[in-house]
Amino acid sequence: MGHRILAVATTLTVALWIVILTPGPAAGQAFWAKDTPKLPMAKTWLAQKAKLPPYSPPRTPDGVPDLQGVWGGAGGDGTSYLEDHEFVDVTTPAQESFVSDPPDGKVPYTPWALARRNEILAGLGRGWPGESGERLYSSPSAFCLNFMPRAGGFEGQEIVQKPGSVIMLSGIGYRVIPTDGRPHISQNVKTWFGNSRGHWEGDTLVIETTSLNGKGWFDSTGHFYSENTRFIERLRLVDANTIDYELTVEDPTIYTRPWKMNFPKRRAGTAQRGPAPLRNAIAIPNAPATKDPYASELWEVACYEGNIEGPADIRDLGFKWFKGVTPPK
Amino acid sequence: MRRWLMRLMFGLAATCTLTPMPSMGQTAATPPYTPPRTPDGHPDLQGIWQVLNTAAWDIEDHGASLGVPAGHGVVEGGAIPYQPAALAKKKQNFEQRATLDPESKCYLPGVPRITYMPYPFQIIQQADKVSIAFEYVRAIRYIYMNGNPHPPGPIDWWMGDSRGRWEGNTLVVDVIHFHDRNWLDRAGNFYSDAAHVVERYTPTSPNHLLYEVTIEDPKVFTRPWKMSMPLYRRQERNSELLEYQCPAYLLEQEWDKPGTTFFDKR
Repeated sequence: MGHRILAVATTLTVALWIVILTPGPAAGQAFWAKDTPKLPMAKTWLAQKAKLPPYSPPRTPDGVPDLQGVWGGAGGDGTSYLEDHEFVDVTTPAQESFVSDPPDGKVPYTPWALARRNEILAGLGRGWPGESGERLYSSPSAFCLNFMPRAGGFEGQEIVQKPGSVIMLSGIGYRVIPTDGRPHISQNVKTWFGNSRGHWEGDTLVIETTSLNGKGWFDSTGHFYSENTRFIERLRLVDANTIDYELTVEDPTIYTRPWKMNFPKRRAGTAQRGPAPLRNAIAIPNAPATKDPYASELWEVACYEGNIEGPADIRDLGFKWFKGVTPPK
Repeated sequence: MRRWLMRLMFGLAATCTLTPMPSMGQTAATPPYTPPRTPDGHPDLQGIWQVLNTAAWDIEDHGASLGVPAGHGVVEGGAIPYQPAALAKKKQNFEQRATLDPESKCYLPGVPRITYMPYPFQIIQQADKVSIAFEYVRAIRYIYMNGNPHPPGPIDWWMGDSRGRWEGNTLVVDVIHFHDRNWLDRAGNFYSDAAHVVERYTPTSPNHLLYEVTIEDPKVFTRPWKMSMPLYRRQERNSELLEYQCPAYLLEQEWDKPGTTFFDKR
């Protein structure tokens, strides 16, 4: 018994050190057991979606589909690792790939980009198998930076629709997406969230994002895009409480073809609370509401302000600042 | 036909005679502006707004210096009523502003400071809350109007806890639960964790809001005091919030030129 407690304590200490020393998502960090069944993502969702009956969404007074409400995010292990993988460590349990197309679930990097991706993976300095021993880059999320698509697409958010725009509100920020047909800002402007423009195609909200600075990652293992990348998000209600979220990534400078990710966004209060592996996999309508009157409020996060010792610690460990990739011409 | 024309002309003449015309320098007689309403029936303050003043540098009267435009203060009565010890701290803040100003570290600037920084912000109204999205560090304020009172404190928040209500056409926001590190401008004016801030947003025309702030803080000031300024609706047809990701620029600089930011001086 005593040994067991000691073992648990040691595991926790080690896990804590991994979190302290490892650049990774600090907020909402969860520890996962090794025997956690593989977390569902694109593959499970596509199979579920294929069985859904046709659904006609309600409309706003403007006559467009009404996507308003509070929606969950991708769930799973918090976008720890984009592609299909088995248990790596307590931060990174087994999980299906976010990638729905190509069907093999792999990001279709060009040979040059794949070599760069593998170099970044080998330099994460997380004590993972196959590492080079060198500390290369830390995840931009370790600095509490917010960027697309993690903060703007993969996280949960409230959707508000106004004439001429769709607004997404969350605890860590916002997106205002004009739907009034205006052109994008100059491609010389590069930002962490890019420049988004929306329009409706039937029941689907289509959001095109350009002007990305290419400094953000898709996950905590260095899956990257570039400043040439274009994101096309498609949001469509497939039942009253579920949005099919699809993100197409286009960038001929680093990918051999456009590729897609898919997962469901569940309306707040309808995703199953319960065994972790099933979270977000099954929707339960009319889940009992909590009695805390403040439960639905979004309170200050101030991640950067609360993590002010982090940057110097990360730099002292030898990690470099990820400035994005520059593919050969 | 002629009788109809006569009647119209007479009517117009009577209207002109009976309507008080604003004379030069007369502002008090301006009829109150009636703003459009949201579907919920509240005054519609939505849109992109920005100040056109120098309060970000100094909320009191100030002359120009390198990189600082001169400006009239926004404090009613001219001077902030500091207690003696607080005034000494303000002077110290001013002298060491290059290293002490929270803005120089890209921290959330607090309320009301974020409102009069030289960046636009967007007001978004819903039934349960008014949200203010800021271009500066992509900060967002949720002003809840859902009937919940301030949560019990003490809570140390950079932006405080905001609860709103409507008084006629005015959005009144009550803000408490600050920590003790917020400044009010780049000149070192400040308040403490005991601050109680009340903001009033009143539409005065389709393109203007009157922004009034009362600050009460028994640890710092001798009495409550007030600042006021207009907020201007951005007129550019393509206006939208862009991005000022202050922490990212600071971090990148630290890696490019090690030791040049405060990160090194833990």
